[in-house]
Amino acid sequence: MTKSIILSTGNIVSGGPSIFRKAGASRSNRELINSLKSNFEAAKEEYATLPVDGANGHTNGNGPAPNHAPLSVWTEQQDDVLYVPRINWDFAGLQEEPSQYDVTVKLFFLTSGSVSPPSAREQHARQALALVLKELRIPKVDLLVVSFPGMSFDGDCEWEADKQNAQQGEDEEEAASWPALERLQKEGLVKNLGIAEFGSEKLARLLKRVEVKPTVDQINIKNCCNVPPPLVKLAKEQGIDLLVHNDSTDVLPKGTLRELLGPEPRGAGVLADGGVCSGLKGDLTPQWVIKYTAVVRDRGVIENKGYFAGAELEEA
Amino acid sequence: MGLLALGTALAWPDAKKQADLVREWGIMQLLAIWNKAKHKERDALLWGDEVEYLVVVWTQDNKRVLLSLRQADILKALANDKELTSGGGGVPDLQATTGASHESPLPVFHPEFGRFMLEATPGQPWGIEFKELLAVEPDMKLRRAIAKDHMLATEYPITLTTFPRLGCPGVFSDPYYPVSGPRLRSQFVPDEIANPHIRFPTLAANIRSRRGRKVQVNVPVFRDENTPWPWKDPTVDYDLHNWPEDDDVRNGAAPDNFIHMDAMAFGMGSCCLQITFQAKNITEGRQMYDQLSPLGPILLALTAATPIYKGFLADTDVRWNQISKAVDDRTPEELGEKPLEHDRWRIPKSRYASNSTYISTDHRLRPEYLDPNLVIDDDIKAKLVDGGMDERLATHFAHLFIRDPIVIFAEDLTELDLNKTDHFENIQSTNWQHMRFKPPPADNSIGWRVEFRPMEIQITDFENAAFAVFIVLITRAILSFDLNFYIPIAKVDENMEEAHARDAVLQGKFHFRKNLFPARAPRSAGPSGANTPTPSRPATPTGPVEDEYRLMAISEIINGTEYARTFSSSPAPADSDDDDDFPGLIPIVEAYLDSMNIDVATRCELATYLDLIRRRASGELWTAARWIRHFVATHPQYGKDSAVSEEVAHDLVGAVISVGEREQKGCGFKGLGVTGLEKLLGEFRGGC
Repeated sequence: MTKSIILSTGNIVSGGPSIFRKAGASRSNRELINSLKSNFEAAKEEYATLPVDGANGHTNGNGPAPNHAPLSVWTEQQDDVLYVPRINWDFAGLQEEPSQYDVTVKLFFLTSGSVSPPSAREQHARQALALVLKELRIPKVDLLVVSFPGMSFDGDCEWEADKQNAQQGEDEEEAASWPALERLQKEGLVKNLGIAEFGSEKLARLLKRVEVKPTVDQINIKNCCNVPPPLVKLAKEQGIDLLVHNDSTDVLPKGTLRELLGPEPRGAGVLADGGVCSGLKGDLTPQWVIKYTAVVRDRGVIENKGYFAGAELEEA
Repeated sequence: MGLLALGTALAWPDAKKQADLVREWGIMQLLAIWNKAKHKERDALLWGDEVEYLVVVWTQDNKRVLLSLRQADILKALANDKELTSGGGGVPDLQATTGASHESPLPVFHPEFGRFMLEATPGQPWGIEFKELLAVEPDMKLRRAIAKDHMLATEYPITLTTFPRLGCPGVFSDPYYPVSGPRLRSQFVPDEIANPHIRFPTLAANIRSRRGRKVQVNVPVFRDENTPWPWKDPTVDYDLHNWPEDDDVRNGAAPDNFIHMDAMAFGMGSCCLQITFQAKNITEGRQMYDQLSPLGPILLALTAATPIYKGFLADTDVRWNQISKAVDDRTPEELGEKPLEHDRWRIPKSRYASNSTYISTDHRLRPEYLDPNLVIDDDIKAKLVDGGMDERLATHFAHLFIRDPIVIFAEDLTELDLNKTDHFENIQSTNWQHMRFKPPPADNSIGWRVEFRPMEIQITDFENAAFAVFIVLITRAILSFDLNFYIPIAKVDENMEEAHARDAVLQGKFHFRKNLFPARAPRSAGPSGANTPTPSRPATPTGPVEDEYRLMAISEIINGTEYARTFSSSPAPADSDDDDDFPGLIPIVEAYLDSMNIDVATRCELATYLDLIRRRASGELWTAARWIRHFVATHPQYGKDSAVSEEVAHDLVGAVISVGEREQKGCGFKGLGVTGLEKLLGEFRGGC
């Protein structure tokens, strides 16, 4: 049987060190991993002293650490979905009217091939976006940037990077996924669409096949002063903004997720080890990650930033 | 502020009699604005920079560089420039541009204290759009070009903080005026050195009168190989008998080993780079005031550009304390030199000094951070509290209002106008602390503002833009990440002193907060205030305040412990463990930028600015102060005796002019033949 797991970081904007990259270690995914870790830790501690509905007040005892809440308390099962940690939606929302914000989300599709047909991607996109809208209590986001798996801007020279990029990803899958995103826009959930890591050739090919053009192409190159000239030219012609990002191209690898949720003390204790009886068992596959950022318009202040991640557990 | 509104400026004995009235009316005006504006909300981020210039007369052939005293004529030429004024720029004090609004306003020029100075601001404030941040540097270059256009061919606007030979014996200004005038009574500079508008000479004269003697600006001299020691300032005239104040030097005003100066112009004639921000509301303004305050000394040391005074190399690198002394109006009683008889308080600091208050409502502001020696006027505080102001802000203004108003116009005393802020501003704007908290104007048309004042002006507009943009980005990071820079005010004061030392940017150690980040907000810290039972917020930490900060070098503060360890010339102590690693202001700004949507070209330009600051902090590049010292030291005419001769000053200013001309042309600095320039500007903007 398949079970969904939704991981969340909460608002990480004042989360301190976890959001800073180490010198030289750009493209690291430590922001997501560290903030998930620290959110799990915080949830275990905070729910330890707190009776939660349905938890029968079991605050101490089963947990491996005396001041930690047991799994059933700091996570929450709703139908087939396990929330890690439990989310208290009462505290969702932004401080001011939604119109005061620019909200950008970036959706990372993590799987490819037969396990990831367009229909699955549409479902993932809707699920991810719905979580963000609920978390921020907003009706729509201003920009949805989509990151497809297997793409990057690598190479020492900008021309080289652009050329390599042309061979990456899966054109067919990407084009097939796009109508789902266009539908989100038509439904008014998303104002503009964007893509990430599309070099000039891939971008040109995508543009031929889409109805709604992306307004943004997010790229991550070693030295942001060296953008491949063909990409600059194409983006300019098509009115596409080339934006910088610093996200990892492999934002949530399977092994990392396994370790993150694995047995304590290294992991969060959500997944069982061979010998331990508590915890879930089975094959865990990360499906998607969505990063959201709410910036106060006219003031350049980031009020809320965080991640949700979706994974599927094929129970053994 | 109606600078040119002429009136009858009261001489000090008369002004002193009116001081209480001005204070009383000033407080009433403050309460009126406060009541109007305390609930003002949602103002956008707007910000502005101010660049100040010296105007010099320079030719290649004449080996003497002079200060031009034609400020009034230059401003007149700017005000009469139709194209400029129709574009919204010009000199509003002269031309009264009534309600003109334009799409891309041209820069605006203002008079300054020194008659050899000019100030220029953008035609309208900047916003936070990242592309707007990139408009700053071109705008600064445009300002310089426009200023130059309205000068004689031999005149140049330059951005050195001080004129190297201000106050030297002989001729240093054009036209020449004799020294020892009735207003300044200086033996080094003429009265005509100050802007002739009555406000400025009155300011200087009344400060001197109130103080009971001339101001005393003594800077330690830099001791070089051939500097006689003990060093006696050879320019001091002990035989002058024109004014009672001429006794000052005979009474020990000019100690050994110090360059001695005696007039306001030596301080207020310095150029700086000031940045003003509009906050979204009063709470955010108070937060920004507090959080930027500990950064003041750091940015002062990092922008160091003032190694020469009155023709001698000083042993300090920055201007701050000299300005402080140049406007120090404290009486001997207030200074603690005599028992208190006529005056109300001993006052520990000059009117121009580092901040003395924190004003935020932030729960992280611990009482231990406040200045235990703060002097306030209890009656004024009581009035403000009675008027509805909270204790903490009332304390701030009750502190500023311990000062006397210096310049009072008789005409302003006939009637109190609560729709004006002139009396409040009279006190407020002559409190020159390193931050200024500015209420909205009387018409409440703009928001609460905070001014960041410690930075020294840089030689090129590229550098000035870099520091301006850096501070803007820091404020955004402070507000986004809810950063906490609090350390005790006494430690900020110590840092301010530390920033003065020669090469403090590399050698200095500054008290700085170790952990800037807020305690993790619990799940319950949502804005909706739902009534679900939730764990209580973690208690505000109450460990010893001394454990919250430690000594750091500038590079560690700016670049982070890790980078500083790798690149600094003075590595971090080996025993420092990773837990004590400081992230660094630039990595914090980068984390902010990483979270924003920024186009590639813009991010590249912003990265260039951050790179300049990173390299200045690490010592890979030099401060202007270090470059100027290098220039003097390697000049063939320099006798290693601390003296900066006319010829050396001429060539230094000539180098600065040539750098400025290259910057205007945008063709890099290669082939200029200016010694050490590559250590100042590196490969930036075309390289050296």
